[in-house]
Amino acid sequence: MAKKTRIKAKLKKGIVTVKALASHAMLSYQEAEKAKKEVNFITYLTAKVNDKIVFEVSTSQFLSKNPYLKFQFKGAEKGEKIVITWTDLKGETQTSSAKIK
Amino acid sequence: MNRRNFLSLGLGALAVSMAPSTLSAINFRDTKPKAWTATKVDDAIKEIFGTSKVTEGKIKLKAPDIAENGAVIPITVSTKLNAKTVAIFQDANPETAVAVFTVPENGIIDYSVRIKMAKTGTVTVVADVDGKLVSASKLVKVTIGGCGG
Repeated sequence: MAKKTRIKAKLKKGIVTVKALASHAMLSYQEAEKAKKEVNFITYLTAKVNDKIVFEVSTSQFLSKNPYLKFQFKGAEKGEKIVITWTDLKGETQTSSAKIK
Repeated sequence: MNRRNFLSLGLGALAVSMAPSTLSAINFRDTKPKAWTATKVDDAIKEIFGTSKVTEGKIKLKAPDIAENGAVIPITVSTKLNAKTVAIFQDANPETAVAVFTVPENGIIDYSVRIKMAKTGTVTVVADVDGKLVSASKLVKVTIGGCGG
């Protein structure tokens, strides 16, 4: 089981800046063939606050290993919980959360 | 599952996802499966946005001129345009699509990601602004390949 996604969320002047570091090998087809491992990469990732989507991305194998994402959004308050969920090619999902500071 | 079945499955999923309000989540992996295997940037854009007609526009694309390590290339996309969908492509790897962002209601378009490129290539960002496609692109020189190179 992979490690949890590291999340930092900071509120400043009404805008929340989130930095997230997911833990995933992100093996592309070529890399997997070379390493004799199965292809696997994160295909879909969402971030939610109060069950409302604040960030959404569909991704391919060309994100770097342990993908780093930075994004911003409005309309959240201090202390609210941000929940990041990803799904990979094998269908495995992982949910991590952090409080907005 | 053969290819034909697979594609019709994708179209079915697309029809389903179009039916409810567009506020709901869209996984472009499910709705546009063809886009992820397209080997040309134009084809991938066409798959995702329905047209490949793009105009250069007010999108800021930050990427290094020369990337020493192709495995980790920081890309930042930001724009003040009211875009619904933002997609990143490159032409150095076998397939071109990298990521498709769906911009939610309260979203601010200022995204940073790190991508892999096998060799020198052009990174292209396309945003859907009220049905018009606006793009920006930049050449990134890669000295060491990131995809098994």
